[in-house]
Amino acid sequence: MANPGSATHYSKEKLEAAAPLAPVPAGKEPLIKIRDLHKRFGSRHILRGINLDVYKGETLVILGGSGSGKTTLIRHLMGMLRSDEGAVTVGDLNLNSASAADMETYRKRMGVVFQGAALLNSLTVLENVGLPLVEVDHMPAGEVRKRVIESLRKVYLPAEEILNLKPASLSGGMRKRVGIARAIIQEPEIILYDEPTTGLDPVTVNGVNELTLELQRTLGVTSLVITHDLDAAFKIADRVAMLYLGRIIAVGPKEEIRENRHPVLQQLLTGSTHGPLTEAYLQPTKGT
Amino acid sequence: MAEPLRKKTTQMTERLEVSPAVAVVEEIGRSIARKASVAGRATLLFVDACSYMSQAGRSLPVLIRQVEISGFGSLMVLSLIAGLTGMIMAVQTGTALKDFGMVNQLGAIIGATFCREMGPIWAAVIVLARVGASMAAEIGTMVVNEEVDALRSMSINPVRYLVMPRILALIIAMPILTAVADWVGMFGGAIISNITFNVSISQFMASAQQGLVGMDFFSGLFKSVVFACIIGTIACDRGLNTTDGAEGVGKSTTDSVVLNIVFVLLADLIMTTFVQLWLN
Repeated sequence: MANPGSATHYSKEKLEAAAPLAPVPAGKEPLIKIRDLHKRFGSRHILRGINLDVYKGETLVILGGSGSGKTTLIRHLMGMLRSDEGAVTVGDLNLNSASAADMETYRKRMGVVFQGAALLNSLTVLENVGLPLVEVDHMPAGEVRKRVIESLRKVYLPAEEILNLKPASLSGGMRKRVGIARAIIQEPEIILYDEPTTGLDPVTVNGVNELTLELQRTLGVTSLVITHDLDAAFKIADRVAMLYLGRIIAVGPKEEIRENRHPVLQQLLTGSTHGPLTEAYLQPTKGT
Repeated sequence: MAEPLRKKTTQMTERLEVSPAVAVVEEIGRSIARKASVAGRATLLFVDACSYMSQAGRSLPVLIRQVEISGFGSLMVLSLIAGLTGMIMAVQTGTALKDFGMVNQLGAIIGATFCREMGPIWAAVIVLARVGASMAAEIGTMVVNEEVDALRSMSINPVRYLVMPRILALIIAMPILTAVADWVGMFGGAIISNITFNVSISQFMASAQQGLVGMDFFSGLFKSVVFACIIGTIACDRGLNTTDGAEGVGKSTTDSVVLNIVFVLLADLIMTTFVQLWLN
């Protein structure tokens, strides 16, 4: 007898069907609204109608296999890509039609933690973390130094010891923390994490997860985390969304997602090599 | 009437499609179109970078570091090459002039050649190979490592932060390097003229002074500024357009050197023709 959660019980349409947009729970306020977002690169249709709300103060984790469109989605939220159809709205600001000045203001409200930390190798830790304060806020050097030390302490780094080191002298975990320190230095309202734990050892992964949780608790930020690390996802998330072939196929509190019988989620949760996820990757024209 | 004509046209088209000569012409056409596209995009990048020149003061530390890398870093190798070229020119030209008893004209010939052409061209070649390639590789690596995305996410314009200081640094360094190449080249020529053809250094320099006009020297310096703009812009453009990881960085670096050689020589041809027509 076939497993009711297996892909054989799902037609292709049902497998790829987008999850309906959940009604906003009482006491929650959507800060980021993504509506019918489409993005194509040439003949490849990467995002195929994303509908998603990110509530103020929550941590939403977007799960998805390689090539599901996670990076394309987060680049829309960073304001680096404009959608072909649909809209991304943050507060009252539509990112598709925002002016350069509005985008500058928006980016001050947003911090990004990149997969490889993306620190500038030619700059010291002080210069890296203080970069937005110097280049965007034109803050005096003394104030920048003070703020950088505060920010490094928030991520549990020995500020005075590493201030004048170049990123190449730091371990992977320390680099990631410096990246987080840079992301929070302008006290953002939203933090976007792009695969924050990829390539780190388990102890450092735990450290980064705890740090993410603590930043949400202490700073009250809204966090959107893109990852395929399940442990990290279920540890830090308030809600989890599953991205598959450019559509959100499931979204909800993490407990609900764990119980969801959708074959794509089940394959991701069990780590099986057989299932719709692996079949999708074999189709070269779909999703990136 | 129309049908046979259509048939003949189709046959001709089919013949053309399989002809190797057409394939070669097509490839040349494609290559020119690619270079024209790079030139167009680089021009836009240059205009964009120029619009931030008034904010150069904010990028002073980066600017100073870039002048140091492109200027002082290239000085030794450029001096060596310019000196050797001056010596070789003196041997070759002196041997020919000796038969006509005109070795005392060596200073004028070598001086004019260096100030008009060899100085700016050698400075450009050394800078595009040494500094341009390094700029394309550095910015390309930054693109691959998402550092450029990080800058954009912090509202820091990569053209203002990365491209403008590099182009400006080359604009400052190139005329200095060119002037050094002119003098070292002439000095190398003077030494060989003295040793091989018994032309004293003062005779050589007097001949150079007599043969040179101010325009020779300043047109060379002007060329070097134009070359600096070309090298900096193309190198940064290639770097910013890097894709495909480490392999892409290598490709951007090679493209930067190849395209810079082509565009520097093309610009030199245009400027030399213009200056010569103007002078005559």
